[in-house]
Amino acid sequence: MVNVFSVPVFFICFRESLETSIIVSVLLAFLKQTLGPEREPRVYKRLVRQVWWGIIIGIAISLCVGCGMIGAFYGLGKNHFSGTEDIWEGTFGLLAALIITAMGAALLRVSKLQDKWRVKLAQALEAKDNKKRSAGDRFKRWAEKYAMFLLPFITVLREGLEAVVFIGGVGLATPASAFPLAVMCGIGAGCLVGYLVYRGGNVAKLQLFLIISTCFLYLVAAGLFSKAVWFLENNTWNHVVGGDAAETGAGPGSYDIRQSVWHINFGSPLLNGGGGWGVFNSILGWQNSATYGSVLAYNLYWVAVICGFLAMRYNEAKGHWPLMKPKAKRISESDAASDTSSQQGEVIAETYEPKKVSTDFDAARSSARQLDA
Amino acid sequence: MALSLSNFLYSSLLLLLPFGLIADAATVTFDWNVTWVRANPDGKFERPTMGINNQWPLPLLNITKGDNVIININNQLGNQSTSFHFHGLFMNGTTEMDGPVGATQCGIPPGSSFTYNFTIDQPGTYWYHAHQRGQYPDGLRGPLLVNDLESPYLGQYDEEVLLTLSDWYHHEMPELIAKFISVANPTGAEPVPNSALINDTQNVTVPVQPGRTYLFRMVNMGAFASQYFWIEGHTMTIVEVDGVYTEPAEASMIYLTAAQRYSFLLTTKNETSSNFAFVASMDHDLFDKVPKGLNSNTTGWLVYDSNVERPIPALLDAFDAFDDFNLVPQDGQKLLLNVNYIMTLDMKMKTLGDGANYASFNDVTYVRPKVPTLYTALSTGASATDVTVYGGNTDAFVLAKDEVIEIVLNNDDPGKHPFHLHGHNFQAVLRSDKDTGFYDSMNHTAFPAVPMRRDTFWVKPDGHVVLRFKSDNPGVWLFHCHIEWHVNSGLVATIIEAPLEMQKTTSIPSDHWRVCRDSQTPYAGNAAGNTVDLLDLTGENKSPAPLPAGFTAKGIVALVFSIISALLGMVVISWYGAAPIGTSELQSAEKRIAEAGTEVK
Repeated sequence: MVNVFSVPVFFICFRESLETSIIVSVLLAFLKQTLGPEREPRVYKRLVRQVWWGIIIGIAISLCVGCGMIGAFYGLGKNHFSGTEDIWEGTFGLLAALIITAMGAALLRVSKLQDKWRVKLAQALEAKDNKKRSAGDRFKRWAEKYAMFLLPFITVLREGLEAVVFIGGVGLATPASAFPLAVMCGIGAGCLVGYLVYRGGNVAKLQLFLIISTCFLYLVAAGLFSKAVWFLENNTWNHVVGGDAAETGAGPGSYDIRQSVWHINFGSPLLNGGGGWGVFNSILGWQNSATYGSVLAYNLYWVAVICGFLAMRYNEAKGHWPLMKPKAKRISESDAASDTSSQQGEVIAETYEPKKVSTDFDAARSSARQLDA
Repeated sequence: MALSLSNFLYSSLLLLLPFGLIADAATVTFDWNVTWVRANPDGKFERPTMGINNQWPLPLLNITKGDNVIININNQLGNQSTSFHFHGLFMNGTTEMDGPVGATQCGIPPGSSFTYNFTIDQPGTYWYHAHQRGQYPDGLRGPLLVNDLESPYLGQYDEEVLLTLSDWYHHEMPELIAKFISVANPTGAEPVPNSALINDTQNVTVPVQPGRTYLFRMVNMGAFASQYFWIEGHTMTIVEVDGVYTEPAEASMIYLTAAQRYSFLLTTKNETSSNFAFVASMDHDLFDKVPKGLNSNTTGWLVYDSNVERPIPALLDAFDAFDDFNLVPQDGQKLLLNVNYIMTLDMKMKTLGDGANYASFNDVTYVRPKVPTLYTALSTGASATDVTVYGGNTDAFVLAKDEVIEIVLNNDDPGKHPFHLHGHNFQAVLRSDKDTGFYDSMNHTAFPAVPMRRDTFWVKPDGHVVLRFKSDNPGVWLFHCHIEWHVNSGLVATIIEAPLEMQKTTSIPSDHWRVCRDSQTPYAGNAAGNTVDLLDLTGENKSPAPLPAGFTAKGIVALVFSIISALLGMVVISWYGAAPIGTSELQSAEKRIAEAGTEVK
């Protein structure tokens, strides 16, 4: 079995594609449900295309970089990457965690306000580049416009590079014949899970699907954040010991005893591809050797997320962030708006089905014309 | 310089020999001040070394068998304590002169004086060195030759030649030890020497006459490196190892671990047309990493004709050294039978709780006791036969007098280790091949009828050795690996041989007690210095605790807290997701939709 199917390679491919496909399928399911081909086909198609472009370009780049690295390794006979591997992992992990955090919150938020979001998106896609706006504002608009490209792109890039590096690591001891089947099965299994998530998303109630998938995304992001800190600490330790500490296995010497919160000699997600522990590590950030840094990072991440959501809810209810003064209202507009909204506001407050609110652009335009007139 | 040094040693031998022949059991006295001396023996790096009477290398001690030796030490180092051990001498009846700090004496602090007074009743090649924490590789070691007027080989050689081998470091030991035993070195990689020396220099020349037989006496005074030694174009006939005469054994290459000695006869060629190189090559198997630029081969020459060029030695494909296990002692001492006591020592290296790598026998890492073991044996009365009083970290064994003792040493480490026993030499009855695991008394190669004897013997990686000796020398004797790094990381066992006999026959001179007072070291009581309750060892010196295995309390707390925060987080997310949109947000949404309506035309 070992010669045609490498179990470590399978697990590596499985867990990398699992993370990626879950994120992608959540995005696609969300797009289908909120924009759907029946509602705003043009916008829907554009965004779906963005997602797929992100995936394809991410795969392409990670393949190129990966092949380059493996070629350099075999050609130059030295793993130049290993010295900085942990820094790459740490930085990418941080970046990915931040992006997933922002996207997750945004997804949840906008699902409650379908109209506004669709409007906003339509605006963003149509808007001409206005040079009068500040740089920060322009970046924000650009990011909004291409968010559906960025998130899958960064995710696939990171997962792809990780997979190539890990496979390069275990690949030395594995015959070439063991690769193809293991790689295909691993990626296939990950894609299958993603597909199931996508189908599940399409039949479930949108809000429930979003809540569950957002919880999951945040678990992954918390794990990523904790791992990023862990990788940076591991990099420091490698420099102290002089060489790759993981070469000593998972036993004493592979970690800094002074930073250790817990350490068990088995269950390492790094050795030999990691096996099931690797999947555990991908989804929840499990480490067999936790440090003060990684544990604190994990907990502080959740604290920040909790505070962030509480603050968002407060802002939605009160119109300003907690601890800040409410914005001054402009008299004329607010009177008119509050008149029209007070009736509808009551309707909305009773039910939380956003679909019940009038959704037509036409209706909006007509009410505006009424105001003008 | 090389020329004159070997000539100096060579000629000093010649000069002293006649004096040895004339005198009869004399007393020889030396006054040694231990001082710092700057030296550059390998020509690459000048560094401070520890010398005697402002000279380095240290003087050759050339003693006739039967002489009484008195050495008055005065420590003028200023910043380190010291002590001297005379490697291979039995110190029969004078265990207090053996030298290891923490075992038979207190360290001699700077400014203090200490006298070693002993009689040498054994022939052979020996050496002396500091026996204080990793000190001797800083230069405090020298050769000791005993002239035997009754040698069985007397008359078979014309002259003697001394060759000492050594590895050499450019940095001082305290600095290297701190790097070796540290959290940054969890695998315990020993520092690799910077070069190697013959006769404490390089490019040694030994002038020889054609058609004569020389007795070469060799000592490896290194800290760490074992060395292969061979002489091109000549065969060596081994006649003595570690002070034990052997039946002549022909060898083309010998292997000397740290602390071992060999004497061999060499007959020179009958013509003087060429000179011949001899090479000492450090064994790379011991080195964790071989740094680029390390020259582990040191060359010297047998010079038949100083006008002829000195050849460069040929490179060899492999090392094929004589196996000292096959030597046969010349006195024919038969295998000791009817073993009374077996000391089993399972050695291992592992990382302890402070993150550094330590060595252990039977899972106990040696740590020096508060009271030197000899003084514990002398001051604990009847309890001296109870091994508890010697502490939990001295790897102590109490032996009775005149018994046959067997040491079974199981090497659970993938490294070669040379083991040395103080106070005795031993019969080496078995050395297993590498990777054979632990000794099985039911299943092993038959022991030789006349086993070889010496005092330093190496064990193969993941193999074992079996040694036998008679406990006929009351005293405190250490048994330890002679790789100085491992001495520091705890690969030492303590043998307390016939303590009650010791109490009757041993008397400690007053300057030994004074040195303890000078260094504020307690000199009575058990290993913790307790003179009242001898079995109470509270306060004794201990090795670092082992690494925590698995989840400790703080690990479990951390994991539980992390799980709780994740669950809390998910609850908040769900709450947020399920909640209706707030009024204010709705209002601004309406506004945006209205604006969009006016904008989109």
